[in-house]
Amino acid sequence: MADRTTDVWGARTPFGAGDRWPSRGDRYLTVPDDEVERWVPSACVLCSNGCGLDIAVAGGRMVGVRGREDDRVNHGRLGPKGLYGWQANHSGDRLTRPLVRTGGALRPADWETAMRAVTDRSKAVLAEHGPLAMAFYTSGQLFAEEYYAQALIARAGIGTPHLDGNTRLCTATAEWALIESFGSDGVPGSYTDIDVCDTLLLVGHNVAETQTVLWSRMLDRLHGPDRPRLVVIDPRATPTAREADVHLALRPGTNVALLNALLHELIDNDRIDRHFLDAHTVGFPDLAEVTAQYPAEKAADICGVPADDIRAAARIIGTGQRLVSTVLQGVYQSHQATAAAVQVNNINLVRGMIGRPGCTVFQMNGQPTAENTRETGADGTLPAYLNWQNDAHVQRLADAWNVDALQIPHWSPPTHAMEIFRHCENGSIRFLWVTGTNPAVSLPELHRIRAIYGSDRLFLVVSDAFPTETTALADVVLPAAMWGEKTGCFTNADRTVHLSERAVDPPGEARSDFDVLLDYARRMDLTDRDGRRLLPWSRPEEAWHDFIALTQGRPCDQSALTYDALRNAGGIQWPCTDRAPDGTERLYTDHVFPTAADRCEDYGHDLTTGAQKDADTYRAHDPDGRAVLKAAHYLPPHEPVDERYPLQLTTGRIVHHWHTRTKTARSPQLQDAAPEMWVELHPEDAARAGIAEGDLVRVASRRGDLVAPAVLRGPRPGVVFAPFHYGYFDQADPDRHNRAANELTRTEWDPVSKQPVYKVTAVRIVKVADAAAGGRPVVISEPGLSAVAPPQPPKERP
Amino acid sequence: MSKTGLLLKELHASETELAAACHAVAERHAADHGTYYPCHTLAAQCDAHAEQIRGWGGRYGAALHPPVHSDLLTAARDALRHEGSELLGRRTESGLLLLRDLRRLYVKAEATYINWIMLGQAARALRDQDLLTALGPLQQQTRTQATWITTRIKEAAPQILVATD
Repeated sequence: MADRTTDVWGARTPFGAGDRWPSRGDRYLTVPDDEVERWVPSACVLCSNGCGLDIAVAGGRMVGVRGREDDRVNHGRLGPKGLYGWQANHSGDRLTRPLVRTGGALRPADWETAMRAVTDRSKAVLAEHGPLAMAFYTSGQLFAEEYYAQALIARAGIGTPHLDGNTRLCTATAEWALIESFGSDGVPGSYTDIDVCDTLLLVGHNVAETQTVLWSRMLDRLHGPDRPRLVVIDPRATPTAREADVHLALRPGTNVALLNALLHELIDNDRIDRHFLDAHTVGFPDLAEVTAQYPAEKAADICGVPADDIRAAARIIGTGQRLVSTVLQGVYQSHQATAAAVQVNNINLVRGMIGRPGCTVFQMNGQPTAENTRETGADGTLPAYLNWQNDAHVQRLADAWNVDALQIPHWSPPTHAMEIFRHCENGSIRFLWVTGTNPAVSLPELHRIRAIYGSDRLFLVVSDAFPTETTALADVVLPAAMWGEKTGCFTNADRTVHLSERAVDPPGEARSDFDVLLDYARRMDLTDRDGRRLLPWSRPEEAWHDFIALTQGRPCDQSALTYDALRNAGGIQWPCTDRAPDGTERLYTDHVFPTAADRCEDYGHDLTTGAQKDADTYRAHDPDGRAVLKAAHYLPPHEPVDERYPLQLTTGRIVHHWHTRTKTARSPQLQDAAPEMWVELHPEDAARAGIAEGDLVRVASRRGDLVAPAVLRGPRPGVVFAPFHYGYFDQADPDRHNRAANELTRTEWDPVSKQPVYKVTAVRIVKVADAAAGGRPVVISEPGLSAVAPPQPPKERP
Repeated sequence: MSKTGLLLKELHASETELAAACHAVAERHAADHGTYYPCHTLAAQCDAHAEQIRGWGGRYGAALHPPVHSDLLTAARDALRHEGSELLGRRTESGLLLLRDLRRLYVKAEATYINWIMLGQAARALRDQDLLTALGPLQQQTRTQATWITTRIKEAAPQILVATD
């Protein structure tokens, strides 16, 4: 097989509009085929695409994977992370025993000792400080059943509002953009919309690197007959952007100005669907008035792109018949995140392009199971898309859980992660349990995070499969089973649910988070109002059963989505009900949106300040099934560049790594493809600072600095790019904090989604050493570079 | 100066005071990022409102001028507050100070809002349609500012008032 770290997207299989995307069976095996004893059905957990795959098992070990050709998501394909990432399960440094801090050091302990330490401290904190001193920070990597258990433990058992996921960093804006426009979370479209669209608008979404198999699907349309036209909005000349008909390489942090200009062009040239707007939306006059203040020339000034290119993009968007728009971190991790993401919804709404084949907007997820934190209420919402301000909704939840409604905190929205850490910082939270995530590398302003997590007054429990920068700060470390070693469900970015079966046993004493959470609930004696166990389960399937029952009648209704159904059919898209047992391809085909006051998930916010609307205000103008067009003015970033910090840093991800590399650095092929940190500078900025290719440079912000070799292929003058994946666990001196991009970023978040701002940080650069003398060699390996190099003319494969 | 001019002067003063108060609250709670950045957003909105109001002053005989700040003094004061917040921001008393400051801010925002209501009524009675159209979004934005302060107080109060030390 070709080295798929360089041949990232694999062979093209072009197809035309309305044809079936051809299958392509990707596989990677470390043993000969005939030695495989079993193939265990699952799906990939290394991005939000959720590609169906089978895990090959031999001798009680995973020995490879193959894409499922009958799976609706990937038609047999797998990306490099899917093909090679599973090998991390075998890594020699897996955590196999609990660790408890004694005498200042983490030492191996048995489960009884570790769990007693966790529950003793929980009980002591509860007795002394009450439930508001307890907090939980979870992942986008666990399974739905585990998140649901966490929601039940935190919201009904402990009674704390402090439960959120690291999905706050990746997908919160997707969730809130959907809620603000359509009344509820839930991605409207289906990947099959890509098969029939004639126009693609990709906003801050470098899909070629973040969701490689989805890009293969798009590429196969782009290289097929009746090629869709492609507009890409991204500051960087990504592999995605290089395929574009129009690439708007805007200044970081100016999305709202550009999107307003595109909306203005559409409205001004009457490329809008007035019938649709009149019948199915509210708010158009305000949107028209605000966007009228953004003529192309003004946006061109703000965004640093030619006005003619803006008009050309608007012409493409405005003349297509079937528009698929997608949004990801370039929008979500900038300031004004929700305001910008909502303007992309507005583009599809003014064009009347939603709820029909080929017409939709994807507010993309980041992580593979991010969607499930949103549905189970393990992020800043209640389960089943219930509205915390709606007393009937809260009562429904209380009835399902058989607890008093007052037990469930709903005096304000569940606390978002960044506010949880603020409470840890000022000492009002005393107990924090982190599951399946590595905040000591992934959160902004790392010196602050290390100080918070390392504080003596905070008792820190960390569940993980590997030693990480975060486990190093913990008081108790619990060894977790990984994907393939446990059973559970998860949902991808087009609402496709897969059941991932346990293929092998976890190593040593590692346990699934589900089992650990049940054990915790039992030891904490968490009960309902009748004294019965609050988590009355022994297996994940029982938790799933309760969860899907709770969704009945809600927009995310999955009440017929049983394990049996998933075993029989593979991936199924919700809603999945008795009336639609095979699932539902797309939402809002009747153009009725879940905005009615009794149905909506939230009453919404002012996009600029985050001011929360209340029930009375909302009911006074109940959209009652119409989508809501919300406008917003552009605001400059809160930290502008100045003489001392003249450049703008934007951080991001690369194709070979996932988050903080806990898995991907332990997969040989992926690690070899991109072993080291680097920063990308524009040649003009580099020349001004006397920096040549490969020189070691220091990038400094007001909060910290990092040192890394320079690669002179930066996006535009004045902009520095750094991948955010690299931390310290694989460094010779892990206490020398000069490598992670988040040393530089600052603690600010979007006022609506509360997603941290990673894309706009003022920095300066200075040369530290020559590439030849003292500098490190250029660190991106050839495979790493060529994977994202300008495309070669298509070659015929033998 | 006409009575409407007097009202414009009053409104201008309340907007510039609100801007200054937002600024001060932001710097005093610089370690509380959920207050710091939105308060700066509010302050910038108030500055923009004040500029608009100055534009209307001439029509009603009110000569309105931008507030005079000594840049050096302002910077020094902000730096002091900012640093104080960084030092004290990890102590629990800072929570009670935050609630007190936000309550004061709320009162100022409401006072500003009621001045907008009066100006709207004057514009109606004067049949000054241009003024009426122009002030609508600004009045609404002031309403939203008060809603944001309420939102922030509702979020912050339980942890500050109930979580024990």
